[in-house]
Amino acid sequence: MIRKEAMRIILEEIGDDPIISANGFISRDLFELKEKNTNFYMIGSMGLASSIGLGVAIKNPKKTIYVFDGDGNILMNLGSLTTIGTIKPKNFIHIIFDNHAHESTGGQPTNTKNISISNIGKVTNFHVFEINDINNLRRQIKKIKKINGTIMIVVKINNSKIRSGRVTLDPVLIKNRFMESL
Amino acid sequence: MKKLFQHEILDFFVKNDIENFVGVPDSTLKQFISYALKKKKIIIAAREEEAIGIATGMALSGSNSLVFMQNAGFANSLSTITSLVQLYKIPLIFLIGWRGYLKEDAPEHRKIGKIQPDLLKIIQLPTKIISDKNWKKSCKWAINKIESKKSCALVIRREFYD
Repeated sequence: MIRKEAMRIILEEIGDDPIISANGFISRDLFELKEKNTNFYMIGSMGLASSIGLGVAIKNPKKTIYVFDGDGNILMNLGSLTTIGTIKPKNFIHIIFDNHAHESTGGQPTNTKNISISNIGKVTNFHVFEINDINNLRRQIKKIKKINGTIMIVVKINNSKIRSGRVTLDPVLIKNRFMESL
Repeated sequence: MKKLFQHEILDFFVKNDIENFVGVPDSTLKQFISYALKKKKIIIAAREEEAIGIATGMALSGSNSLVFMQNAGFANSLSTITSLVQLYKIPLIFLIGWRGYLKEDAPEHRKIGKIQPDLLKIIQLPTKIISDKNWKKSCKWAINKIESKKSCALVIRREFYD
């Protein structure tokens, strides 16, 4: 499966819950698939989507907070998994689209081909689900939505030639409407 | 016994609605950090950029936040400050311990410490240096900044080398 297909299915299942999306193609796919006020497109500061999501989750315990992350992104901020796994927010769902590559910069390899993100998630106190098959994705997401806890979903995807357009919104507008939506 | 000024700073910020203290430990700031730990008002992050990310998430939720770090960690964070904090206009107070202020500080601190004032200037982060003498005025200034949704930095110099 490719990221945009997988993201479309996830978005159909999670409604309008807040999403913090990582920079690069992840935010671009989200912007094309389901533009809404509850999306915080992090267009710079690579690696920090999970940390921003943690801050939002701590302060909004009644909302479920989703982080749309990539393997290259989370590898830049592995320490954040130890902070999240220490605080253990019950409303934090960390979705990592893992293609073993920095697709946004030309498909260069990341180390997740050899070292499993799911295993890192397990030792940092996440409840981890790994999804390889698009036919299972919708069913799994439905199931996971009913579970409380600090959840990591690693969605294994293939690289693709499909390119979504850039996020064209002003960053201050992205912030203001996200804040109003919480 | 007279209260330590780093303790007074924390109490002052708490009283003025700064709700979150997130950062990476630094020896210059250790009295502030241990007092905050004792009061359970703190999150220790693994890296400074991570701390800024967490504090940003809290600020997005309308909750006022301070990030603390050493100047070396501040230098690590320059790109995060420009591409997150300043790009989205996120109001945060930076509390920075300044190693390398003294010429005879440890060798690893000398070069980055020397350019610390230039780094703050070049990224246009309004800054005050604070001490036990002037902290209250500058902390009030920082509160005004955050109330007007702007970021700023408070710097505590390391004035001894042990």
